[in-house]
Amino acid sequence: MTAAVAVGLLVAGGAYLVLQRGLLRVVLGFVLLGHAMVVLVLAAGGDRGGFALPGNGAGETADPLPQAFVLTAVVIAFAVTVYLLGLLRAGSDEPDDDARGPS
Amino acid sequence: MSLLVSLAVLGGLAAGAPLLTRALGRNAGYVLAAGFLAVAGVLAAHAPTVLDDRTVDWGVEWVPELGVSLALRLDGVSLVFSLVALVVGALVMAYCCRYLSDTAARGPVYPLLTLFAAAMVGLVLADDLVLLYVFWEITTLCSFALVSTAGAKAAGPGRHALVVTVVGGLALLVAVVLLTLAAGTTRLSAVLADPAAVLDSPYAVAVAACVAVAAFTKSAQFPFQSWLPGAMVAMTPVSAYLHAATMVKAGIYLLVRMSPLFAGQTAWSAVLITVGLTTALLGAVQALREHDLKAVLARSTVSQLGLLVAVIGVGTATALAAALLHTVAHALFKATLFMLVGIIDKETGSRDVRELSGLRTVMPWTAAATAVAALSMAGVPPMLGFVSKEYLFMGLLSADVTPWAGPVAGAVAVIASALTFAYGARIVWGAFGGPVEQPDLYEPAPAFLAPAAVAAAVGVAAGPAVSLLDPVIDSATTDALPGSTPPSVYAWHGLSPELAMSTATVAVGLVLFWQRDRVDAALQRLRLPDGPALFTRGHDALLALGGRVGAPDRSPTLAAHLARPLLAVVALGVVGLVTVGPLPGRVDAGDPGRWLVVALLAAAVLGTVLATRTVALVALVGVTGLFVALWLLLSGALDVAITLLLVEVLTAVVLVLVLRGRPLRLPAPGPRRRPAAVLAVAVGLVAAGATAALTGRRELSAAGTFFLDRAEELTGGTNVVNTVLVDFRGLDTLLESVVVGVAALGLLLLGSATVPHPTDTDDVLLRVGTRLLAPGMLLLSAWLLWRGHDQPGGGFISALVAGIAVALRQLASGTVPTSRWLRPRVLLGAGAVLSVGVGVAPLAVGDALLTPFSLLPSLSSALVFDVGVWLMVLALVVAVVQALGARPRHELEGAAA
Repeated sequence: MTAAVAVGLLVAGGAYLVLQRGLLRVVLGFVLLGHAMVVLVLAAGGDRGGFALPGNGAGETADPLPQAFVLTAVVIAFAVTVYLLGLLRAGSDEPDDDARGPS
Repeated sequence: MSLLVSLAVLGGLAAGAPLLTRALGRNAGYVLAAGFLAVAGVLAAHAPTVLDDRTVDWGVEWVPELGVSLALRLDGVSLVFSLVALVVGALVMAYCCRYLSDTAARGPVYPLLTLFAAAMVGLVLADDLVLLYVFWEITTLCSFALVSTAGAKAAGPGRHALVVTVVGGLALLVAVVLLTLAAGTTRLSAVLADPAAVLDSPYAVAVAACVAVAAFTKSAQFPFQSWLPGAMVAMTPVSAYLHAATMVKAGIYLLVRMSPLFAGQTAWSAVLITVGLTTALLGAVQALREHDLKAVLARSTVSQLGLLVAVIGVGTATALAAALLHTVAHALFKATLFMLVGIIDKETGSRDVRELSGLRTVMPWTAAATAVAALSMAGVPPMLGFVSKEYLFMGLLSADVTPWAGPVAGAVAVIASALTFAYGARIVWGAFGGPVEQPDLYEPAPAFLAPAAVAAAVGVAAGPAVSLLDPVIDSATTDALPGSTPPSVYAWHGLSPELAMSTATVAVGLVLFWQRDRVDAALQRLRLPDGPALFTRGHDALLALGGRVGAPDRSPTLAAHLARPLLAVVALGVVGLVTVGPLPGRVDAGDPGRWLVVALLAAAVLGTVLATRTVALVALVGVTGLFVALWLLLSGALDVAITLLLVEVLTAVVLVLVLRGRPLRLPAPGPRRRPAAVLAVAVGLVAAGATAALTGRRELSAAGTFFLDRAEELTGGTNVVNTVLVDFRGLDTLLESVVVGVAALGLLLLGSATVPHPTDTDDVLLRVGTRLLAPGMLLLSAWLLWRGHDQPGGGFISALVAGIAVALRQLASGTVPTSRWLRPRVLLGAGAVLSVGVGVAPLAVGDALLTPFSLLPSLSSALVFDVGVWLMVLALVVAVVQALGARPRHELEGAAA
């Protein structure tokens, strides 16, 4: 159940931030949403605790497959985040391009 | 085969037309006309077969998966329509040779007209529904392109014509699909041979409606008729060929072709007769109201097409024979009249029927040809138009939808024909009557007049000699209505009801002509709907509606775009709440430590939401990430936790680079704070609920069990997660490296707009500390990479460690790393070559892509693959540092100014 609460918190926080003014908030909102997905996918493998190393019995260890997926996802999320930050940096002096449009 | 050759010759002429015009100028038309006649001859050579009620077929598979074939078939109906298209086409081409200037002839007119002829012949020869549809659309596009050659003034009418006919084309496409579904084949002859399959299917009504709409749009029937007069902005040959003789007959052809299915069905008859007669009457009234000769002819075409539609709707053998005969007659006299009006327009400079006077003296031959064609249109004996009109009356009288349908249809046709007589008589009067007002006019060159004169002469001669057409009409009628006995076609019927109707037509028509000034005044007062204006209004309204529908997508605010997927998630949650049934019980490890982490996480998330300063926001997001990493660690995902931790550190470094010199305060939350909060809470609840409902309810997956049990044995690695990444699911990892590489390249492109930005930092601790730490971090990275297969570590983690070393160095020294080996392009390239090379190598010995193999006794190819991943991730970090560590150019320019 900790996974559900964590996902709910992260999604709510991320959703709030992406709906705000200012690109920085939007980018960081996406970071939070990315965290939420990491937790969700990992939770999909089951809730067992225990490290996925041989020697730990299959009963207690976490499922290694979602971990491999999530590991990939974390790096991709990082790549996307820094690219968004690059856009933010290159785009304008104003940290809040968005605020200039009608809201 | 000769059918294919015919089409190929026409297509070849269309393709070669630009070359011909370059060599011959406007006289290229004669070559094209000869080509048309040759093809007509080839088709006519099959007449004995066709008249014997057999068909000529050719076909080859086109899309075998769908059962679609390039099938052509020549029967009576297609013989009539293709010969009309080719013979009138040849006349128009010959006419073009004198109508066009050499300059205009080098334009797109010749190729387009020839392409149109090819498409029209293809349309009537097609024996496959899909093929029919394709040719149908080609004629539409040719028409649009030809109308558009008239320049700017054609924009509005051209669009009107295109939109209306394309709508009809779409209706035809729907009909084609439904017919194929109902009959199980796209072969037209097979569909028509088994009417029961279509009529008994649930699609029967829809097919009939779609076919009718397609035909009504193409043949300018009420309420779609107003595009045709507008299309008259096109030059005269185009109007004569497409918009009088052939293209508008495509709808007539379609209705005739579909008659085996629908003829005799009450609703079909009722709709066709009603629409056709309405159009005939409306068109005739409007024609009589016009003074511009070309407009008169355009309205008249609409009216005549209406009569054709009505008589096809009657659906008896007599009626269909009448439709076929009148199609030929109308093509002849209407193309003639258009060509002559073009001549008169060029010679006198006017197309106003009131200004024409006394042409018989100065242009006797032109006047004579005009008069002959106009009398044929008016239905005066002994012209072909008279004979075909007699049959039209006969056909309409045979309408048997209701007992009174025949007489009513006949009466309406008489009125429409009387109006036709009246405007026909006005044209004749303009040509013959009145004093000579322009005495210095002279007859056009014989070559200019010849095509029209030939057509006019044929129209006269074919009246008395109409029985020569009898076998063709007979055969075509039998094809259009299998099993029927068509009437014999001959010129003189004796004293029949039709003759009485013809007499009435002429009598009323004469009265209308005699009282023409009064009729004209009355008609001018008549308020008729303005078709083009209605179309424009509807068109504009449609575009405005599209604008409103699309408005949210043009919002400049990000939130407007991002809110919609979030709303969709909420909607999905509601759907889930309603539809998801009872769930299996939870399999929870239950761990108080993680509850503590989640509580801290809640505080951190709340902090990010409330943060008003940049630094606070960045720090709190970082803290949130750390708590997530902690949660991952406690849940057993060691590698993921380490990776996330490193990513958080790197993200923080990058943020510091990005945010240098920016306002410390975040923009104040606007009025959207409250709705955003509501939406965020709703999405959060859905996400939490879905996670609770859909996870943690099963034992370890089969795949997970397999990896845990067999990974070490199969790969020699003991870190199961890493073996999944590099041994079992290498392609995922490779593609992920590609994403990383693309992001790195994107940043490099962004960075190219920037210049290096040396900063001095007086933080001695940072500078010295970095100097001391960096070599150690690089060593640590190498060690993590080496041991990754067995212990937590691997390409991602070690690359991030190395990346942090690079980034810190940048932060501390303010200089972009310039080492030759630390260029992102070099790193990217090397990484891609390594990982792809190792991945592709197994293919050489016949293994699958990315199969791990042993390089040395203790060195698996998986390690080399991981080194490739390491290089690409490191490339991303270096690219980030280079792109974001520099100052954007606009900052520099701002500083200089």
